[in-house]
Amino acid sequence: MVTAAALAFAACWSGERRAAGKPPVKALVSSIRAEPRTFNRYAGRDSVLEIVASLTQAKLVRIDRRTQELEPWLAESWTTSADGLVYTIKLRQGITFSDGVPFTSADVVFAFKAIYDEKTGSALGESMRVGGQPLVVTAPDPATVVVRFPSPFGPGIRLLDNLAILPRHKLEAALKAGTLAKAWDVSTPPSEIVGLGPFVLASYQPGQRLVFERNPRYWRTDARGGRLPILDRLTLEIVPDQNAEILALESGQIDFTQTEMRPEDYATLKRAAEQKKVSLVDLGVGLDADTFWLNLRPNRPPVVQHLWLLRAELRRAISHAVDRTAFAETVFLGAAVPVFGPITPGNPRWYSPDLPRFEYDPAAARRLLAGLGLSDRDRDGVLRDRTGAPAGFTIVTQRGNTALERGAGFIAEELKKVGLSAEVAPLEVGALIDRIVRGDYDAVYYRFLTTDLDPALNIDLWISSGSAHVWNPSQVKPATDWERQIDDLMKRQVASLDLAQRKALFDQVQRIVADEQPMIQFAAPKITLATSTRVVGATPALLRPSILWNPDGLGVK
Amino acid sequence: MARYFVRRLFAAVVLVAVVSSAALLLTSVAPGDFASELFGSGVSAASIAAERARYGLDRPVASQYFDWIGRAARLDFGVSLVYHRPVAELVRQRAANTALLALAALLLATFLGLPAGIITGSRRRGLAVSAIRGASIVLLSLPSLITSLVLVLLAARTGWLPTGGMQSAGAWDGGMLAGLADLAWHLPLPVLAIALPLAAMIERVQSQSLGSVLKMPFALATLARGVPRSRLVWRDAWRPSVGPVAALYGFILGSLLSGSFVVEVVTSWPGLGRLMYDALRARDLFLVAGCAAAGSIFLAVGSLISDLIQAWADPRVRQRADERRAGAAA
Repeated sequence: MVTAAALAFAACWSGERRAAGKPPVKALVSSIRAEPRTFNRYAGRDSVLEIVASLTQAKLVRIDRRTQELEPWLAESWTTSADGLVYTIKLRQGITFSDGVPFTSADVVFAFKAIYDEKTGSALGESMRVGGQPLVVTAPDPATVVVRFPSPFGPGIRLLDNLAILPRHKLEAALKAGTLAKAWDVSTPPSEIVGLGPFVLASYQPGQRLVFERNPRYWRTDARGGRLPILDRLTLEIVPDQNAEILALESGQIDFTQTEMRPEDYATLKRAAEQKKVSLVDLGVGLDADTFWLNLRPNRPPVVQHLWLLRAELRRAISHAVDRTAFAETVFLGAAVPVFGPITPGNPRWYSPDLPRFEYDPAAARRLLAGLGLSDRDRDGVLRDRTGAPAGFTIVTQRGNTALERGAGFIAEELKKVGLSAEVAPLEVGALIDRIVRGDYDAVYYRFLTTDLDPALNIDLWISSGSAHVWNPSQVKPATDWERQIDDLMKRQVASLDLAQRKALFDQVQRIVADEQPMIQFAAPKITLATSTRVVGATPALLRPSILWNPDGLGVK
Repeated sequence: MARYFVRRLFAAVVLVAVVSSAALLLTSVAPGDFASELFGSGVSAASIAAERARYGLDRPVASQYFDWIGRAARLDFGVSLVYHRPVAELVRQRAANTALLALAALLLATFLGLPAGIITGSRRRGLAVSAIRGASIVLLSLPSLITSLVLVLLAARTGWLPTGGMQSAGAWDGGMLAGLADLAWHLPLPVLAIALPLAAMIERVQSQSLGSVLKMPFALATLARGVPRSRLVWRDAWRPSVGPVAALYGFILGSLLSGSFVVEVVTSWPGLGRLMYDALRARDLFLVAGCAAAGSIFLAVGSLISDLIQAWADPRVRQRADERRAGAAA
């Protein structure tokens, strides 16, 4: 009766409802899976904030996500000093924020001051350092900015692709008061959130949606001088459940999502594509291969008793023991390709196809394990170490992530075939990260999302002192000779200004990693995006946000 | 009566304090915390430690708890770590959405479940009885996740209803009635997802209760006097038989208002359950405690309403209360 009454009432007012809900001439609806936590790009670091910043803010330079080339954005041009340490950047003239206040070099200086401010504690400030030192930024005149690097840095001002320029006139008072981290929280009136991006935030309904309208003062035009952005309105509907998100896409209630298609959704969306409801965009092999690693911290208790857990032969045996082709078929339902290292073919600039490979070879795996003193004494199919204890470990992974749970299960099954006992323990993501950070695990199977393609911008993963050097992080001095070699190579790689030399150095790093196997990758998913057939002008890329990295060219049929 | 309400109020305060404290403490002692999610985002261990210190998460759990309980006693439930906004404000906003959903679902469940239970409880066999019983068993067996997904799938395939959300963008631009109509358009999906299993539960309880009432001496005597069975059921027997259903209401209300998070997540309904789910995932201590407190308030209110319904439905309950009052006066 309640439902009937609600439907009857809705039906009576359907004319008005349609009028009220009728989109403007050019409007698209996308989905996001989580709520925004803040609108302040300097205070937060999550995927929704990145999308909001991409819509409402602009940077000095931008990396074209498809070509990986650096392009001028708020910066019109730049020159570099001979030593590569100083960049003199000329800003575009005549640009205003969405509230009409002119953009000048003072806003850029403010941006750096804000991210390096200790009270703000910006995560962005952390990533905008070179060798732990901040960049020094000055403004000789309103149209010029000088950026000085503390030491030679290969990626150069590609680093600035991370930095949205927020308005000094709106946020400087908060910075001076030491409250910048709390500024522009989600209760801030949208009119206060001004920017240089193609859209302005029109409304935020908690738990429901964010509505963006075109910024009438946006500074870019298309190649023919036409207005940008093309859309009048872009709505981000908050749809927490991925199944519901796919159904909303299929039924035309949203036009695109922020995440790639899951293998299990392929059949549904393929059918919808055949009915011309959606378009599928194949982006090729993804950037993020799921990663398996053993805990190589030397002093944790189980390792003291079982030193074979630290040996490279064990890691090589594991790599030999897993059939990567079957892994791709089973875990990703065929929508993946076998990979043998952390850099996938999806990152062609840094991918190295000629690395040593530990192909599927269970016999070789058994030989390597025998060399570690692990033998099947009881003929029960279980390898035991010299103390008689079964040779095995526990693999922790993320609970609720079906691909990870399937992957960990598959690895455990493959290891059993060569005599290693592997148990899988799925954990809630918070508990899993806590275990990883504390080093309280034997082995992990997890997926890191790539945030930058240039290895120099992920330096923390590669060098032994890095906090993201997951298998043995934050080392005071390199624990092994091969880690010391990687440290040296990466230091040179980061400091070199010659791209070819940087590539050659990174190839050497990848070669060492491929041989030592501190991280083992088995397959990288193929990425397919689905959009409604109304969407035009999208330039999807592998790096997130896949579509909204370039929002001003988006249009609607 | 006043003493009764004071007693209930005191019990409610204790319930809220215990539930929210337990939520805060359990979230604090579970592995990982709010700062853990910075791991892998390029932030150094030192910065993660600084973030932890900034929110006081590096202090002993007991110290964090006593700080919080001291503030909560002054009705200050703290500030959400995720949203940097007062917890009370966030909870109030979402609780209203959940209350709307829960009340609509409860009404629908009652209107479906109660008559269905009376039908199955008053007849032994027949097509209608078998159909209702079968449907009830199926609905009770299905997890709410599946029910929700099936309904969302139906909405997507038919296009009759929106697949989720509470309001269309700009729904109120066309005026108050257009806004309400839009809300009514979005209600059926989550309401049905919650109400269908509840209706099945009410049907089962009501059916068994009515069956018992119909075996009571007064009912047998009425039938023996030649009163038609249908008249007995619909005029005399159903009202004393709703006691067990009424007793369920307190539990149902409490669980509806605090625990419908699966339905809220799948149907994108911006309610309290979803807020708590997000808070738990982000390990937002104070928000988790605030949501738990709101849930326990709903449970207390639900129990009170349930007692009042029981008193209305069953003369024996009123009689016992009258006797207690008389005893106290003597």
